[in-house]
Amino acid sequence: MTNLPTTFFSWVQFLLDKYGEMFLRGTWVTLLVAMTGTVLGFALGLLVAILRTIPLPKSSKWRQLPLRALHILLNVYIEVFRGTPMIVQSMVIYYGSMMVGIIGRGTPVLPAAIFIVSINTGAYMAEIIRGGIISVDVGQKEAATAIGMTHWQAMVKVVLPQAVRNIMPSIGNEFVVNIKDSSVLNVISLNELYFTGKGAAGTYGRYFESFFIIACIYLILTFTVTRLLRLIERKMDGKKNYTIYGSQSDSQSSIKVSEEAEEA
Amino acid sequence: MKKVIALLLAFLLLMAAVPALGEGTLRVGMECGYAPFNWQQTNESEFTAPIADGSGYADGYDVQIALRIAQALDMKLEIVKTEWEGLIPAVISGNIDLIIAGMSPTAARKATLDFTDYYYQSELVVVVKKDGAFADAKSLDDLSGAVICAQLNTFHDTVVEQIPGVIHDMPRENFPAMIVALKSGAIDGYIAERPGAEADVMANPDLTYIMFDAGKGFTASDDDTAIAIGLQYGSPYKDAINELLSAISDDERVQIMLDATARQPLVTE
Repeated sequence: MTNLPTTFFSWVQFLLDKYGEMFLRGTWVTLLVAMTGTVLGFALGLLVAILRTIPLPKSSKWRQLPLRALHILLNVYIEVFRGTPMIVQSMVIYYGSMMVGIIGRGTPVLPAAIFIVSINTGAYMAEIIRGGIISVDVGQKEAATAIGMTHWQAMVKVVLPQAVRNIMPSIGNEFVVNIKDSSVLNVISLNELYFTGKGAAGTYGRYFESFFIIACIYLILTFTVTRLLRLIERKMDGKKNYTIYGSQSDSQSSIKVSEEAEEA
Repeated sequence: MKKVIALLLAFLLLMAAVPALGEGTLRVGMECGYAPFNWQQTNESEFTAPIADGSGYADGYDVQIALRIAQALDMKLEIVKTEWEGLIPAVISGNIDLIIAGMSPTAARKATLDFTDYYYQSELVVVVKKDGAFADAKSLDDLSGAVICAQLNTFHDTVVEQIPGVIHDMPRENFPAMIVALKSGAIDGYIAERPGAEADVMANPDLTYIMFDAGKGFTASDDDTAIAIGLQYGSPYKDAINELLSAISDDERVQIMLDATARQPLVTE
């Protein structure tokens, strides 16, 4: 009892000694849930975006019905999962399915957490990707259709690669948001970083010190992730000595009149 | 793309296909962040119980009661560390069997949750600054004019009004937040239960707590100051637990609490 820390940083050191292992574990859980959730949510968002852009068959009104129904379903999905808080979604999905017997009691929380984050992210991603698709010149799709590609081929091989490059900053944003928002999943017993920090704060009665550590860890996580995504963006751009004409993502792709051309 | 969709479906099926837990495990929910009732630590001891997803061990008064119950029911004990708001949905959905988390059996909670008999009765105190104006208060009247707050969503918040002339500040979410408010001077004191106050004062030597003279403290119904174990209506464990609790005398409870307080991380440093 006599050698309790007294200053702020000695408490920080103390908490790291006592709880270091648990903080690391919490960091790992947060990162796993956020990373997998974002990637799967991105895939889900892509699927939803492609489905929403399928052109309606021009033959008859009745033929359009199944597609219109699908559009309504997808819109409901997006509205509901964007419009309700993730904490509510997590409790309704996890405990709700347990009550009606879809999943058994004691179902591992990690897959459930990843599932919940994926569906939630998918809704946001669908709208982000829709924005990305709009930003791609409509001539691209027309040209692809003109050379005989199906809708699916045109989207996957021509439009989406360009759209995705444009929306990389938004995807990075979603990733960062997921890293931090995964903390709300502590209501379904997910032992992630924030919950661990709260346990440390409550056990030792040191609020500032414990959450200072947690904040630093979150900062390191989000910073690393954004830098990594920047790197991926650069890879998508390709070599610097090759500029795509008319590319909206590269500011250098306008035609410059050079000295040599003027002389000629 | 197709691979991704397949992976997604596999995930969903995997989750649904996980079998229900073996019958021999008793799952108890608590927050694990409220010494000396429940806390989380990395090392195992004869007093700890494992936390469900492997993130350490839990100890504290609540865990001791849980261990005794598990022994009486001949089941293995597993602690499910859950945030406060998720505790009631967890027990209603069947994810956990019992809530042993320092929860009071208030009338509002009884609408959804069944409770056993009390497993602890606590004393309400007020934590204040040692060098503050109210450090020598002995009765509620002595606190007149003070800025007092209590924890959000607990009955503590309702007893603040019993102090004549009190300035009832907005409730805070948890005890660390109240300690911060007290130290920064935003409040003059906060309501706590005696064991928790003991722990807070140990970690923060510039604070002290006021124990009121008999009859001069807060009046609260037994249902509010005592804590009980929450379970589903119709739970098969209720009778066995009540029988066990009636066999633990008040003196024994105080001893278990004192032992837990002696074991809590702050003291063992």
